[in-house]
Amino acid sequence: MAEASSGPPGLAGAAEPIVEARGLAKTFSVAGSEVVALEGVDLSIARGEFISFVGPSGCGKSTFLNMVAGLLPASGGEALVKGVKVTEPSREVGFMFQSPVLLPWRTVEQNVLMPAEVFGRKDAAIRQKARAVLEAVGLEGFVGAYPRQLSGGMQQRVALARILTYEPEVLLMDEPFGALDEFTREAMNLELMRITRAAGITVLFVTHNITEAVFMSDRVVVMTPRPGKVSGIVDVGLPRPRAIAQMQQQGFADLIFEVRGLLGQGRGEH
Amino acid sequence: MTTTTADPVEHLARRERLRYRLMSLVIVMVILGAWELAPRLGLVSSIILPPFSAVVGALFTLVQQPFFLGHFIVTLREIVIGFVLGTLIGFGIGTALAIWPSAKRVSYPFVVGFQAIPKIVFAPLFIAWFGFGETSKVVMAVVIAFFPVLINTLVGLESVPEDARRLMRSIKATQWQTFYKVSLPHALPVIFAGVKAALTFAVIGAIVGEFVGASVGLGYLVDLYNNQLRIDRVFAVITILAAIGAGGYFLLEWLDQKLIFWRSDADR
Repeated sequence: MAEASSGPPGLAGAAEPIVEARGLAKTFSVAGSEVVALEGVDLSIARGEFISFVGPSGCGKSTFLNMVAGLLPASGGEALVKGVKVTEPSREVGFMFQSPVLLPWRTVEQNVLMPAEVFGRKDAAIRQKARAVLEAVGLEGFVGAYPRQLSGGMQQRVALARILTYEPEVLLMDEPFGALDEFTREAMNLELMRITRAAGITVLFVTHNITEAVFMSDRVVVMTPRPGKVSGIVDVGLPRPRAIAQMQQQGFADLIFEVRGLLGQGRGEH
Repeated sequence: MTTTTADPVEHLARRERLRYRLMSLVIVMVILGAWELAPRLGLVSSIILPPFSAVVGALFTLVQQPFFLGHFIVTLREIVIGFVLGTLIGFGIGTALAIWPSAKRVSYPFVVGFQAIPKIVFAPLFIAWFGFGETSKVVMAVVIAFFPVLINTLVGLESVPEDARRLMRSIKATQWQTFYKVSLPHALPVIFAGVKAALTFAVIGAIVGEFVGASVGLGYLVDLYNNQLRIDRVFAVITILAAIGAGGYFLLEWLDQKLIFWRSDADR
């Protein structure tokens, strides 16, 4: 699943990466001086892959995600989605934030259908799709509820359902469960894996939780700050579907240690 | 209804509400009692402050006068038109400034500078420009009323969370879609607070306009009765003006709760 792309870009085929970064870099101008937020990143992500980005604050992982989403222009290099250079947001890419960003005046169902409205779709098929997705995230009993009646975890489920309803091929997640408590987060992670693996959605998942990254991913991209850059990529060969029990195995501990090593290396200490 | 349920928390809350209402009632009774007694006991001249019962009497005779309705309708019309126009203008300019940041940067100093002027000074000018009729009063009401709506519209639209804007960008929403699906509803509670203030200001504008130069209207009546030392009638007109203001306010409050149903009780 995590095979690197070898085919030339632009050539349609199974091996063509769905997301690709070529020297993707970002510099910000702060008080007249240039600050490198992200040094050129080269990365190929295969269709259906679950890939995590871990690193401390300031390592450029969110910046990378925003550039892939087309929400932030690149200063150097380019990001490609399905072989096309990213210049603006695309409906094939869903972006999930740390906060659920639900509209409090809309019911759960109306929130989930909001993107469809923006796309000009109000037909019965999309409403049926929304119901199915809400059922998949376990919210079938809350279709008519308002966001303030829901817990934080349930609100993030709505945010996830809102994206899944318009069926993007790539899901970008910027610390989506960072504000949730540990137990809720674990449950959300398992559900996210189950849903996205079943639908074959490619996931780029930003987190600063190493265990979470290793547990869910096919590959973990380890990043270090000042300047933000990729310090290494760890292949997680663990079989799927993943289960909590796998965390106790030696192989899992080794992977955690490998990621930790790459983080420490970048800082030049520990 | 829940009147028969034995919810102890609800029960306590109801008792608390009752106690506060009772206390307000007591305060009102004390004030009205003092008002009634002070002139009767000779503490103040009843020419300067007629007893409360005399004001109530004046109110009932005044509203039965054939000329009264005409004055009432003129002032009500000035207030309503001034309020509606002021609200629309404030909302329009506030929205424009929020949408075009360069427009805001250019015009904001003028907006703030304009607000620094005590706008009542315009009243004589408006009489000269727009005459003794209703137009000059409506203009005065608009000029005083539009500002809180403008500022609250601007502040409300600018307080839309960055993530909400990014969400709309990520699904390629047009600016118009972002505006009416996210920004406007988000700003509505704040805008409404400005609209409520605008109503109060519209009443002030209309009355001030009438004070400066008019031959009809409730403000004109206040001025007239004051000069005739018919203070009981002055208070009667003031009571009517208070009723107009309060009536409008409760209407807006009702509309607010219908429109902004999602606001949690803590925000109210």
